[in-house]
Amino acid sequence: MLKVGIVGCGKIADAHASQILRIPGCEIAGVCDREPLMARQLSERYPVRKAFRDLPSLLSDARPDVVHITTPPESHYELARMCLESGSHVYVEKPFTVHLDEARALIGLAEERGLRLTAGHDDQFSHVARRMRALVESGYLGGRPIHMESYYCYDLSEPGYARALLGDSRHWVRRLPGKLLQNVISHGIARIAEFLTTDSPQVIAHGFVSPRLKTMGEREIVDELRVIISEEERATAYFTFSSQMRPSIHQFRIYGPKNGLLLDQDHETLIELRGGRFTSYVEKFAPPLLFARQHVRNLATNLRTFLACDFHMKSGMKCLIESFYRSVAEGAPLPIPYQEILRVAGIMDAIFQQIGTDRSADRFTVQVPERTERPRLVLGGHNHTRVKPSLGAV
Amino acid sequence: MKGSDYLIGRDEPILVTGATGFLGPRVVEALLERGFRNLRCFARHSSPVARIEAVAQRYEGARVGIVKGNLLSPDDCAEATRDVALVLHLAAARGEKSFPDAYINSVVTTRNLLEATLLQPTLRRFVSVSSFTVYTNRQKPQRGLLDESCPIEGRADLRGEAYCFAKVKQDEIVAEYGLKRGIPYTIVRPGYIYGPGNEAITGRVGIGTFGLFLHLGGPNTIPLTYVDNCAHAIVLAGLTKGVDGQVFNVVDDDLPSSRRFLRMYKREVRSFRSVYVPHAISYALCGLWEKYSMWSSGQLPPSFNRRSWNAYWRRTRYSNDKLKARLGWAPLVSTPEGLRRYFESCREKRQHA
Repeated sequence: MLKVGIVGCGKIADAHASQILRIPGCEIAGVCDREPLMARQLSERYPVRKAFRDLPSLLSDARPDVVHITTPPESHYELARMCLESGSHVYVEKPFTVHLDEARALIGLAEERGLRLTAGHDDQFSHVARRMRALVESGYLGGRPIHMESYYCYDLSEPGYARALLGDSRHWVRRLPGKLLQNVISHGIARIAEFLTTDSPQVIAHGFVSPRLKTMGEREIVDELRVIISEEERATAYFTFSSQMRPSIHQFRIYGPKNGLLLDQDHETLIELRGGRFTSYVEKFAPPLLFARQHVRNLATNLRTFLACDFHMKSGMKCLIESFYRSVAEGAPLPIPYQEILRVAGIMDAIFQQIGTDRSADRFTVQVPERTERPRLVLGGHNHTRVKPSLGAV
Repeated sequence: MKGSDYLIGRDEPILVTGATGFLGPRVVEALLERGFRNLRCFARHSSPVARIEAVAQRYEGARVGIVKGNLLSPDDCAEATRDVALVLHLAAARGEKSFPDAYINSVVTTRNLLEATLLQPTLRRFVSVSSFTVYTNRQKPQRGLLDESCPIEGRADLRGEAYCFAKVKQDEIVAEYGLKRGIPYTIVRPGYIYGPGNEAITGRVGIGTFGLFLHLGGPNTIPLTYVDNCAHAIVLAGLTKGVDGQVFNVVDDDLPSSRRFLRMYKREVRSFRSVYVPHAISYALCGLWEKYSMWSSGQLPPSFNRRSWNAYWRRTRYSNDKLKARLGWAPLVSTPEGLRRYFESCREKRQHA
């Protein structure tokens, strides 16, 4: 039986607890939160052995094999370090750490101790993301990716989080170097980072506070972001974050030399974009039919998955957790290569440095841009490859 | 009630949390109407305070201070409660769908406020505003009476409703601080608070889905309380002597049935398609939803279940006898007049939409 601990009992901890309990062969040995009432409420609603007030007590008393860190990002590094030092493997919610150097230090410590780490990039493991990965690996693109576009939007009219953030000048999100962006964009950046190969992509970022937020008196929260990422003469990518554009999409497009793919996370659909063209007027009529057929197939796939009771809102998280536990229990490869975790952290550092939300830029190993030269990321040398996660019990 | 009959003097400080919400300004006004002149209104940083300021301006000589802060901050709670004689705790996490969010914004905030009041020897009463949602209403005969003696939902986590869970736990922590730490308290549990400013149709009548309104209430009595009547009850629960540790349900007189309410709404505000779902069918559907949610390990969240059916759609009678007998409460606004104002407000809102 794999013993699991959860640190931080807020909203995302609920998702972790419910997905952990769907995985056979593991139990929640303990939860902790510095607010004891929060630990208590989680332990009252889920089968949890014991609620703790602090992490040292959880680690020494429950002795978890794996700890999930679901606290605000500022504390990720310190808590993960404590867990690793006490011998637990660690699943860290996104964003993995606040800075690249912290991510590098944690991975170094895990390797030194023979322990494992993963980042909460669970969107990468949704059903549709796995279907896309399988197609890319099968060679559908016709070669290496040439260009990618990742859209990750966030509707700030959603009352709960937005009201809490915008109305509170002391909200913890405001203390993050990238503020709102840091807490949200990891998923969209991770989609791109998965298909990059270089450790030092160029990053050009432009961010601003939307006029709508300005009318609400907001001057600090950057809620519109456009980024160009490029690997010398190889793959390029655009990343878009917007709180204002509608529809508020979460999409990823990837184009190879032969074909492309369009993933829609909200609709859980994957559309194949064929590179070939039909002759003459057939080009005007055949593709819409082919797209219609693909949408019907997506509908059928989603229905099948729903009927098989595997279409939970956080099914990607379950798959990621399960794959991570398998890597812990059976020595299987990590679900997310460390190189990819570092690449995401590095790209985010470069973005926040450029758009001016991070005032502690001297912490990073990002080259200072000069006129035409843009920051490059310098990552450590961790060469793990992504493995295709499989389903089943740990 | 004469001034000398009140629990506190008219110049003693009173804290009202949630003062900028739907109910808050009415509570502030109800206090000012009774001559209380030293009010402290607690509001989030983002909350507009124009309504409170407008109310305060109508009462010459009134000191209505606005304290901006966050009840999750013990420092803010300490600042807000300094030297207070009475706390009317209205702030609530209404509309939160996440259990931890609802909990932190109802229970942790309430605990912080209670802790802060422990340091105030001046405190005479802490009034916590709860809700009818905390009652289980199961294991009662049809048309049974729901009053303050009825049992609370024992497994509020199984109701599938974050607000219910948070309110049950909030009531528990208030009672715990009353028992163990000696804080004098009363708990006020309103039914559905309606009036201008809250134009929604209560889920006790039915729910709109895919363009169709499912009428679930049918012949049920809807436990309405007009916002001014509710504010009046909360103020009395804070000011009346000799009711420490008591719970008061708040509903108005002459309550309409769900069917009558819906008919009036369609006539006075707008017409829309609705389908009546008989109780036996809605109960069976809730049961099926509950079973499927469990069987599928939460693929569908347990939003509808037999516990929620019992709480919201079981045919029930309501009582305000205790409120009248112990607090001397009587509705300030009759139900026909309250409904008239409510429908008028609904029409205005539609015109401005």
